[in-house]
Amino acid sequence: MIEATGLTKRFGDKTAVDGIDFQVQPGRVTGFLGPNGAGKSTTMRMIVGLDHPTSGSVTINGKRYADLRAPLHEVGVLLDAKAVHTGRSAYSHLLAMATTHGIGRKRVNEVIALTGLESVARKRVGGFSLGMGQRLGMASALLGDPGVLILDEPVNGLDPEGVIWVRTLARHLASEGRTVFLSSHLMSEMAQTADQIIVLGRGRIIADAPVGDIIGLAAGNAVRVRTPDATRFAMLLEGKDITISHTEPDVLVVNGHSAAHIGELAAGSKVVLHELTPLAGSLEDAYLALTEDDVEYHASDVNDATTPMEPVQ
Amino acid sequence: MTTATATSPTAGTTVPRKGRLTFTGVLRSEFIKLWSLRSTYWCCAIVIVLSVGFGLLLSSIQRPSVPGAPAAAALSASAQQVTALADATIGVGIGQLVFSVLGVLAITGEYSTGMIRSTLTAEPKRLPTLIGKAAVLAVSSFVVGLITLFGTAAIIFPILPGIHIHPNWGDSNLVFALFGGAAYIALITLVAFSIGAIIRSTAGGIASAIGLVLVVPAVLGILSNTTGAKWLSNIVVFLPTQAGRLLYSYGGPKGEITNGYVTLNSTEGGLVLLAWFVVPFIIAAILLMRRDA
Repeated sequence: MIEATGLTKRFGDKTAVDGIDFQVQPGRVTGFLGPNGAGKSTTMRMIVGLDHPTSGSVTINGKRYADLRAPLHEVGVLLDAKAVHTGRSAYSHLLAMATTHGIGRKRVNEVIALTGLESVARKRVGGFSLGMGQRLGMASALLGDPGVLILDEPVNGLDPEGVIWVRTLARHLASEGRTVFLSSHLMSEMAQTADQIIVLGRGRIIADAPVGDIIGLAAGNAVRVRTPDATRFAMLLEGKDITISHTEPDVLVVNGHSAAHIGELAAGSKVVLHELTPLAGSLEDAYLALTEDDVEYHASDVNDATTPMEPVQ
Repeated sequence: MTTATATSPTAGTTVPRKGRLTFTGVLRSEFIKLWSLRSTYWCCAIVIVLSVGFGLLLSSIQRPSVPGAPAAAALSASAQQVTALADATIGVGIGQLVFSVLGVLAITGEYSTGMIRSTLTAEPKRLPTLIGKAAVLAVSSFVVGLITLFGTAAIIFPILPGIHIHPNWGDSNLVFALFGGAAYIALITLVAFSIGAIIRSTAGGIASAIGLVLVVPAVLGILSNTTGAKWLSNIVVFLPTQAGRLLYSYGGPKGEITNGYVTLNSTEGGLVLLAWFVVPFIIAAILLMRRDA
């Protein structure tokens, strides 16, 4: 399990990750969705100790990454495909990685076969295509047969066959009880791979919910309800064509009731509400809207007409 | 690449579960890394070939040791040893440049290619990696230095009597100096490595390391000679190349201060060069722990 608490990263006066809290549970694929520049990679780099958090913390199975006794056996990491010396062969790269943990040549050859790299294993990585680089990245992530996998944009640059391979592999690894945390900026990709989705925009978590709810959110209108009595209130709200997701212990995202109706129900049954927020528009619109001012990656104004899923005040 | 294994995505079962991260593992990994790059072999080949080549060239030229002095035939026994040693260690000058580049590249190559991220996810405590890299570089460059210097000596010493120089393998000063030359190359490699680890960029690292080895001594030497300033001359004595040179000089001077001019003996010279490695290495270690990779 991966657990982040108040995780924050600032680069100068720019806040890349803004005090986020989340948990990534074993036994399912958790998608990390957000546009480029949302802070996904920075978050993943902090998980594995490459970047130091400005404040807050993140642990894997209760420990900081640097405190793990056998990092490669506990966590498999694919941060970017080209985190490899271009002058070295794929085989030598994997062997050098494996040797730190006393993992033998047999396992190196296994992951090479597993990722379909046999024909290029002895060639220098400098000549690899992006797709082959991704496969090599996957091979090094799998070297230690880890219980937690952190994959940053693993399908980036892969051909359709490779995309299906990663998707199948991710699902298979999760079905074995492993924690699989993978990022993408493509909602469609996430919908097909993930069980749970954490949506990040401008360093903040916009949503953290099962994939079905996220798709529901994207399709229609939803209302976010914050109440200390969430479990009891959820039962009161239940009904035909109503979907309720429990994103946090005290938060419900309700599809199918209007905010007014929920407010009346709460008053009628004396449930205290801390928040009642109508959410509108799709998630993709939402994070595009959130990053609209991000000049760095701004392309054009084509999204001006969309309705952002900003809380309607 | 056409054989994607989309059908059976099993993660395999033969992983030794008991394996864990050890310093021995990190050392072996760094050894594999250094010796799985072609540039390492090129550097070593260049040093060995040029050393032997220049050694052969020098050993076939009859020359007086001092202008106007009698030719080699009239040299004293110890002067013959000095000349023989100078010929055998001609490769040190080339070796220090090539190995400076190798030392810088050993660490900046990881940053420029992104390899450092793989390295530091496999070994997240970071310091063992830096120490492991330095250790592997030190041993490798020392061994290559030994092969170069003793190899050159073994090839040219049988030729030297042709120009009336008779090297004596039984002379401990000569043998120590050959070991010292290899130690010098190893230490210069480590100085360059530490500079590279601080600067993290290949171009900047190589420029700084070569600057320190080649440009700074030349510039300060000229200034000190033209101005005759004692303090400048005393600074030059403590430069890594000038202090380190004592490691491979025959016998070496006494360590003393005469008329305000500092002279180091070979032990002191070696320690000064060691300090040129240790200080930047500690800075590099602190920066490595603090900076984002």
